[in-house]
Amino acid sequence: MQWLKKRMRLLLALVEALTGEAETVSYPKTELELPKGYRGAIQLDEEKCIGCGLCVMDCPAHGLELEKESKSVYKLTYYPARCAYCGQCERACHRQAITHTNQLPGSTTDPESIIVILKDQKEQEDSDE
Amino acid sequence: MAESLFYLLIFPGITFQLVCGWFFEWFDRKLQARFQRRVGPRWFQPLADLLKLFSKEDLLPSGANEFAAAALPLISLGAVLTAGVYVPIAGFSPASFEGDLIVIIFLLSVPTLAYYLAGIISAGIYSVLGGGRSLLQFFSYEVPLLIALSGPAVMAGTWSIREISSIQAEMGPFVLFQPIGFILAVVGLIGKLKRSPLDIPKAKSEVVAGSLTEFGGVKLAIWNTVMNIQAVVGIFLLVNLYSSWSGIVAPVLAVPVFFLESVLMIFVLSAASAVFARLRIDQLAGLGWKVLVPLALLQLLVVILMGV
Amino acid sequence: MDKMNIPIGPQHPLLKEPLRLNIEISGERVLGGILRLGYVHRGIEKLAQTRNYNQNVSLTERVCGICSHVHTTTFCRAVEALLGLELPERVHYIRALMCEMERIHSHLLWLGILAKHIGLEMVFMHTWHDRESILDVMEEMSGGRVAHAVNQIGGVRFDLDEDHGPMVDSTVKKLKVDYEELLDVIEHDTTLKARTQGVAPLSTDDMKRYCVVGPVARASGVDVDMRRDDPMPPYDKLDFQVITHPDGDAWSRTYVRLQEIRQSLHLCKQIIDDIPEGPISVRAPRKVPAGEVVMRSEAPRGELFYYLRSDGSDYPARLKIRTPTLPALGILPEQLSEIHIADIPVVLAGIDLCIACADR
Repeated sequence: MQWLKKRMRLLLALVEALTGEAETVSYPKTELELPKGYRGAIQLDEEKCIGCGLCVMDCPAHGLELEKESKSVYKLTYYPARCAYCGQCERACHRQAITHTNQLPGSTTDPESIIVILKDQKEQEDSDE
Repeated sequence: MAESLFYLLIFPGITFQLVCGWFFEWFDRKLQARFQRRVGPRWFQPLADLLKLFSKEDLLPSGANEFAAAALPLISLGAVLTAGVYVPIAGFSPASFEGDLIVIIFLLSVPTLAYYLAGIISAGIYSVLGGGRSLLQFFSYEVPLLIALSGPAVMAGTWSIREISSIQAEMGPFVLFQPIGFILAVVGLIGKLKRSPLDIPKAKSEVVAGSLTEFGGVKLAIWNTVMNIQAVVGIFLLVNLYSSWSGIVAPVLAVPVFFLESVLMIFVLSAASAVFARLRIDQLAGLGWKVLVPLALLQLLVVILMGV
Repeated sequence: MDKMNIPIGPQHPLLKEPLRLNIEISGERVLGGILRLGYVHRGIEKLAQTRNYNQNVSLTERVCGICSHVHTTTFCRAVEALLGLELPERVHYIRALMCEMERIHSHLLWLGILAKHIGLEMVFMHTWHDRESILDVMEEMSGGRVAHAVNQIGGVRFDLDEDHGPMVDSTVKKLKVDYEELLDVIEHDTTLKARTQGVAPLSTDDMKRYCVVGPVARASGVDVDMRRDDPMPPYDKLDFQVITHPDGDAWSRTYVRLQEIRQSLHLCKQIIDDIPEGPISVRAPRKVPAGEVVMRSEAPRGELFYYLRSDGSDYPARLKIRTPTLPALGILPEQLSEIHIADIPVVLAGIDLCIACADR
């Protein structure tokens, strides 16, 4: 009996699969949830950011850009289309200003349209004047 | 006149065969998907695929014989559709005559030969390999299949499928007397349809798509239709020869029972393609001549002795 | 019969990665094959010299899409050896846990591909379904499905919390059941054995001559495993067996890999049970002192070799990667002679080529 069961294993698996539920989902109709700890797009805590540029220095994909005028006046831009979601910026930041969310930026054919300006002090300065 | 046109074009002719072919493809794909724990395609997927292929550009490599490439799928389609008209559906057979079993067997071999020729004329290395393989495979499965199919004919004492089918009302379904012959016929059918595990001529990882590698567009769509209708005719033929209940059950039940048996046959074919790995061509030749042919001869001998 | 040449690749249904084989055939017999490589050469070794050490962790992760974690582990260990960092014990355990889970999913992936090549589509789908459960755990723990980004120089990026232990535990239990089923299929399925047994066997001496490593070598009876021979911590404290098989054909390669899945499951369980408490990283300086170092670890496909030279700046002066696929490509011409055309997929799948690794 055991011997027969071993030999018929594929047939058993077939019956098992036929009686069980399908494991795939029809995707656009059924929403898929990303896990809690998923590394998605990054977000910046503007209060904590001091514009040191360590994240830009360690980013392997040039996904972050920093335009600096003076020590406190700067603009930090995030390019999701270049981002490798590696988590290096989160690790590089000494003040824990950058964190990953578990959301992904939507797909697009125009990478320019999804650029996020994380912090822009230059504009603030201009409007103050 | 109108009656014969109805038989040819609607039932059991072209329209009925096409619908059955699409159903066969969908049901097979759905079953395969469920075996693999997938959801599987919706019911209109085979039709959508066919329309997609019809709308595609039709290209052939330079050096290919354009006329033959266009003619071969059409000839095969004609052959399988003709065969379809002669197979009784639940005892209903408007065009039956003595010896139509032999005609059908030979009509069903036409696509295989056309498939071989399609490989030779389409000027591709994989096509040539696939064509050669299809011929080698033909010689391996065809002989046991022929011997096995002659079992019911010898038992019934006639070569008309309708006669064989109706005589089972008195003698009982032949599958009970010839189980080995039935299994051999199923193996032969799998080989004829080039379905996994005997999809050696079109094994994707070895010869890309076999003979049909260079085909596309409308021609490929016709080839696919040929394969589907060939499968339908083969299944109906086996059901008629081995397990015809049309004379045994009430006439109302004859049609449902017939189609239920056909669906069961699709299930058997699908399960066989899921459970077995593809054989090598030398392994198939060994299996065909060393195992299947002796078994088929043994079955035939038993049938003849039973008749005496 | 006339001789013919059939091209396999760079694009072919058989290949998942670009590789060119020009195979000479006569009828159904294969006479020989000529190999051409370099279709996915990305210049990673040169690229590494233009990036700092932190950026290179992400770069080495992208050498391979399947064994990405073991690449970063080896690179980080090389840098840490140059820096002379003492790492907390917990870091080693988390790294080893990811390594073993990666080995399981790599072997399951491979088994599925072999099954698909010989026409067992159902086995392919079922093994990949099993593999998905381990990928889910890895994604939940590290945040990435393929690029896990676990390592950083001086530690790891994520810590195991109280949910992760039971999750690994239940997945290991579930996979042990699936493993038993797969073993039944491999050991008893007639058609699968007919297609894989006795296909292009290579002897122990051949394997040693070509310096082949990993499961392919172990399936020919070469007893080599970096986890035992040059162990990174914590493998010296864990209990596992090195699986070998004397035959050297495609079936014994299948068998060895399947047994290794079991050993890896056993290792995962031990790691989850024994993992010590402690910090998960230490601060690493940006500049690495001048010197050179060689680091080896056991990737799913065999010994992975990293050579790193530093000139004292924060950019590496030279990074050399030798992946386990490279020596395995050497046995390919020898294997591709006196077999059937139908055996080509079995031979190619049996070696488990990772062309992206080999080309870098």
